[in-house]
Amino acid sequence: MIGWETGYDTLHTTPVFIKDSSEIQRLVWNPFCAQNLAGYLVKSPIVPRGEGSKKIGICVKGCDSRSVVALIQEKLVARDMLFIFGIPCRGVIDLRKLIPNQTGAKILSVRLTDDQVEVEHSKGLQHLAFADVLMRKCKRCRYPDPVIHDVLLGESVLPRIESHELYQDVAAIERLSLQERLAFWQTELDRCLRCYACRNACPLCVCQDRCIAETRDPKWLTQYMNLPEKFMFHFIHALHLAGRCTECGECERVCPMEIPVSLIKEELNKITKELLDFEAGLDLEGVPPLLTFSPAETGI
Amino acid sequence: MGNAIRYIALDKLTRVLGRLSEILDVWVPTASEEKKRLVRFMPYQAGMIPELVEQSTLGPKGALLPQVESLFRFIYEKDPDDASHKRVELEDPVAPKPTLIFGVRPCDARGFLLFDRVFSAGPHIDGLYGARRDLTLLATLVCLEEDAACFCSSVGGGPADRQGSDLWITPIGDGYVVEALNDRALHVMDLLEEPANELQTAAATKVQQEAAERRVGNLICDQSRSNFLQRFDDLNYWQQMAGQCLSCGICTFVCPTCYCFSITDELKGMRGERIRSWDSCMFYTYTLEASGHNPRPTRLERYRNRIGHKFSYIPEKYEGIIGCCGCGRCIRSCPVSIDIRKVVENLEEKAHACA
Repeated sequence: MIGWETGYDTLHTTPVFIKDSSEIQRLVWNPFCAQNLAGYLVKSPIVPRGEGSKKIGICVKGCDSRSVVALIQEKLVARDMLFIFGIPCRGVIDLRKLIPNQTGAKILSVRLTDDQVEVEHSKGLQHLAFADVLMRKCKRCRYPDPVIHDVLLGESVLPRIESHELYQDVAAIERLSLQERLAFWQTELDRCLRCYACRNACPLCVCQDRCIAETRDPKWLTQYMNLPEKFMFHFIHALHLAGRCTECGECERVCPMEIPVSLIKEELNKITKELLDFEAGLDLEGVPPLLTFSPAETGI
Repeated sequence: MGNAIRYIALDKLTRVLGRLSEILDVWVPTASEEKKRLVRFMPYQAGMIPELVEQSTLGPKGALLPQVESLFRFIYEKDPDDASHKRVELEDPVAPKPTLIFGVRPCDARGFLLFDRVFSAGPHIDGLYGARRDLTLLATLVCLEEDAACFCSSVGGGPADRQGSDLWITPIGDGYVVEALNDRALHVMDLLEEPANELQTAAATKVQQEAAERRVGNLICDQSRSNFLQRFDDLNYWQQMAGQCLSCGICTFVCPTCYCFSITDELKGMRGERIRSWDSCMFYTYTLEASGHNPRPTRLERYRNRIGHKFSYIPEKYEGIIGCCGCGRCIRSCPVSIDIRKVVENLEEKAHACA
């Protein structure tokens, strides 16, 4: 079973793989359970996948559940191999927003009550509103209740926005002039280290070990850390996710350089929705539009 | 170094850095207004606001071991005397310039100490690294407060550890007291105009004493070298400790002591460059062989290697130096919050159980 357990302090959880029922008490659920565990179903060397294996239990938030559906749609994992613990989610805290209000203070612990986050740091106590410290993806969440589950743990949560508001963040960038848009992405992507955390955190990037960005023969990208290489990597990655990305936001969360990489895929998803009326990871019978050809296609 | 103690008032800091950067390449940690928690070492430019309170996200190793470094350039030309033959011309890289890295921490300085041992102390000497290192001074901050991920004292360092540093900067409220730790630093000290008065010097001494008394982290790793070797084959252990690893490269890139690199020839037409660039033992391609075989096929073997390299092979090979400075960056930046302290600590348990 894959879930989350307490990490090195109260602000962090870490994925845990449980093989014995005696270890069940290691599991936790709180707004620091950020990681999308779906990727482990297809990329982990320790999750058994062969014939006759036991079922795999997996804990999913709403966003994570869409990734599971996407993996099933693409036949990367079989539905009957899974037992899905669905957890309706009120949102995950963005650690980047937990900044102590005193210079130099170090966060010691965090306590959560319904709508308040109480931060105890080395120079005092601070209160923040839960809504103010949510991840960007949570603020635009349409599917807080898992779209697939074998058991639902917890009360249903309402979507945070209406469907017409879904792509407001990318619409804001679309309203920039082409020059401004280029300048924006040049500034952001210039910080990219090509650590490939975004790619590896993505549940749908299953070919990470044989990635086009790293092959030598043929060699598509050099080892130079200049903008053209970084643009190439990010846009290839986004294109390979076109119509498949379930907007779990992991790519953006894991980036050590705080680059809003999720926006690139959101833009492609906006186009996919407008042209092809398709949202990834919702319908078990669905097929991502770029993985199929239908002569009756009307959107294009 | 008694008589060379200077003071930099907080509101004069950028002016001082500006003056220093006329003589040297100065690197400072800096953050932007929008992304306050992202602190990086950058070449100082007018208008930059140094961030000297929070630890940097990436270590400063890029100043001495750039992420991309030219080893040489090459140009192919047809031999005028023999059209079937190509000549190659090689060009040396640009020579490094005198550099000051301002605002490193003792943990960062320990990283450079390891680099010095690996690259400059033999048996294989890296002339490029050595050339940069010889021209580089470290101005190190006394570290005032650790956070939940720090553990420098556990691996041979500490918040007031001066080893490897050239200038010693002590924050005292409204400014910094600066001392030279060796002769190399004296020409920089000459560029600092304001001497420190008695009160300031006394305040700095107090801060240094308090820092020296702090023991940061309680990891015990003196037996890690052998305990790691005992655990090597225990894949179950590595599953438990690192099963959640994504095998990205963040930990190795933010780490001040990681130095593995790749060498590639980047050719465009008849011109090219051989470059060295940061590699990562977390990458699948790190040990991918030309035959297609990979002795570290999964993230488990690769994470095991990371621990082995830092806590077993480096101490073995380099007189007991630990390949980790306890800065905690890998712990903070890891997408899945793997705690290297826990992995190293638990190496010990089996040893006791067996005894």
